[in-house]
Amino acid sequence: MSARPTEAGSPGDDAASRETGDREATPATERTPLRRSETARWDGIAGVALALVGVGVVTRQPGLVLAGAVGLGYAVYARIGEAPEATVEVSRTVSDDAPAPGDEVTVAVRARNVGDAPLPDLRLVDGVPSGLEVVDGPARIATALRPGATATFEYTVRASRGEHEWEPTRGITRTAAGSRERATELATPTRIVCTPELSAGGDLPLRGLTTIDHGRVPTDVGGAGVEFHATREYRRGDPVKRIDWNRRARTGELATLELREERAATVVLLIDARESAYAASEPDADTAVEASVEAAGQAFTALLDGGDRVGIAAVGPRDCWLSPGAGTAHAARGRETLATDPALAPTPSEGRFYGSLWLRRFRRRLPADAQVLFFTPLLDDYAVSLARRIDAHGHLVTVCSPDVTAGDTPGTRLVSFERRERLRELRGAGIRAVEWGDRSFPVAVARATGRWSR
Amino acid sequence: MVAVSRRGTADGDADPGDTDDRERDARPPTVAVAASLVAGAVAALSAFLAAPLGGALVGLATVGFLAGSLRRSARILSWAAGVGVVGIAVAGYLGGAVEPLLAAGVALALAWDLADHGISLGEQVGRDGRTRRNVAVHAGTNLLAGGLSVAVVYGTYLAAAGNQPVAALALLLFGAVALASAVR
Repeated sequence: MSARPTEAGSPGDDAASRETGDREATPATERTPLRRSETARWDGIAGVALALVGVGVVTRQPGLVLAGAVGLGYAVYARIGEAPEATVEVSRTVSDDAPAPGDEVTVAVRARNVGDAPLPDLRLVDGVPSGLEVVDGPARIATALRPGATATFEYTVRASRGEHEWEPTRGITRTAAGSRERATELATPTRIVCTPELSAGGDLPLRGLTTIDHGRVPTDVGGAGVEFHATREYRRGDPVKRIDWNRRARTGELATLELREERAATVVLLIDARESAYAASEPDADTAVEASVEAAGQAFTALLDGGDRVGIAAVGPRDCWLSPGAGTAHAARGRETLATDPALAPTPSEGRFYGSLWLRRFRRRLPADAQVLFFTPLLDDYAVSLARRIDAHGHLVTVCSPDVTAGDTPGTRLVSFERRERLRELRGAGIRAVEWGDRSFPVAVARATGRWSR
Repeated sequence: MVAVSRRGTADGDADPGDTDDRERDARPPTVAVAASLVAGAVAALSAFLAAPLGGALVGLATVGFLAGSLRRSARILSWAAGVGVVGIAVAGYLGGAVEPLLAAGVALALAWDLADHGISLGEQVGRDGRTRRNVAVHAGTNLLAGGLSVAVVYGTYLAAAGNQPVAALALLLFGAVALASAVR
């Protein structure tokens, strides 16, 4: 019984395979045979057939004997042949390999049977990266390919922030009768990189830990500046502009106005990327990590524009550190780190997180005059204790917390309550905290700033 | 999937490597179910021509194939196939003619095969995937196997055993089975 597919190439029932590709992926497909198994779907057919024959003999009915004999034919059909290896060359074409977040990317997959044997039953499951969501059409096909024939299929994914590498396509072949199955991994490297533009944030108030450089964070140091700080006795050489002429007119004494010096700060944006931070209020909503990264991006641009030195770090099993810096090149590096660093990937990183080890390394790297903007959803006590410990070591901490709690079940309401308690604890310990939920981060910051004293 | 929170929401899927469970409809492809029903109807009709009671049982089996496809249960399909075989046995016992019985047997095997194949396609590829070609090839090879079996068996029946007692026919068959096993 031959297992020849009826027709190859682009059959009529197949959806139109449009040419959307701008860039052909590298054609080399690496094949890794996986498992071989029996599907056991024809099990028992021989017994049933022989039973029919037996009944036919007992009742002297030739029809039954013949029907049983045909059943035996099926038993033989099920036993012949071995599931062929999926000798398929897979090539993948993406419509855009550097999309913006939210863009729909069409992926066209061509599978060509490069072996000598026909594949009567071939199922292909494409290895869509876990960070991408398939929005149109399954990334799968079931087909039959004679040698040299090609099958194509297309699907659409929605791009999300990060660097996405396709996993191997899984090819499953069966014998014509479907009694044996074999899986093969077909690895064809394809990647897309999705780097969001950093949107400019509003004015971000920092705490009074500054460097000696001039900047825009008002300090408690008197000197040249804009805002009034104190008056002191006139000393020779003080600029005439800063003499308090009103006082001179009133009392006849010379006094000099001290203004708040405005200095630049060193800020490290610390993003909570532990597994617990990959939480969202709804199954389809963005995770807290996603919200944190977006807000950190806004803070990054705003601070850099203000002349501060900004660095990026992540709390998580994978290491991520961009030391504070300034300038255009640093801005580009920061954008790339926020977009594609594996520690901030849209899905949690593998591996265990060791809190004390992480903190020791972080403190070693952190410049002495750096303050920390800590982006965390505050879903566990570790985040609070971390913020307090960093603050206690002299690096002033501002906690920026995206609210991903929902309040529709008793459990989620409890989580929401616990989070509010943690915020209260932080504020009680003298750590500034901004939280934002549906509102955008800059709006929340603007609202919170009114409450803060310097 | 953009977030972890999106994981594990699919309803009982066998394939752990899935990444797009939520988007995928794991029901069997329509074409497989429809083809299975057509084959089942042919089987019921043939069995009905042999003997009405047998035809009714095979019709019941066809309904079972539909139920198994809808519930994605291979077990229901096996039970339905069992009912169909009993139906053929009853039709044969009641003295049905040889030709409709053979047709009913082949059509029943095809109906079960397509329904079961549809379930596995639904699991691995899903209802929205392109499967028509795969199902067509599968049905074609099944029919080819059935057709060849019928040709051999019926040809032997006409040529050698036309007037022989049934026991002789069965003995001939066992000889063929022994030969096939030895070759294998």
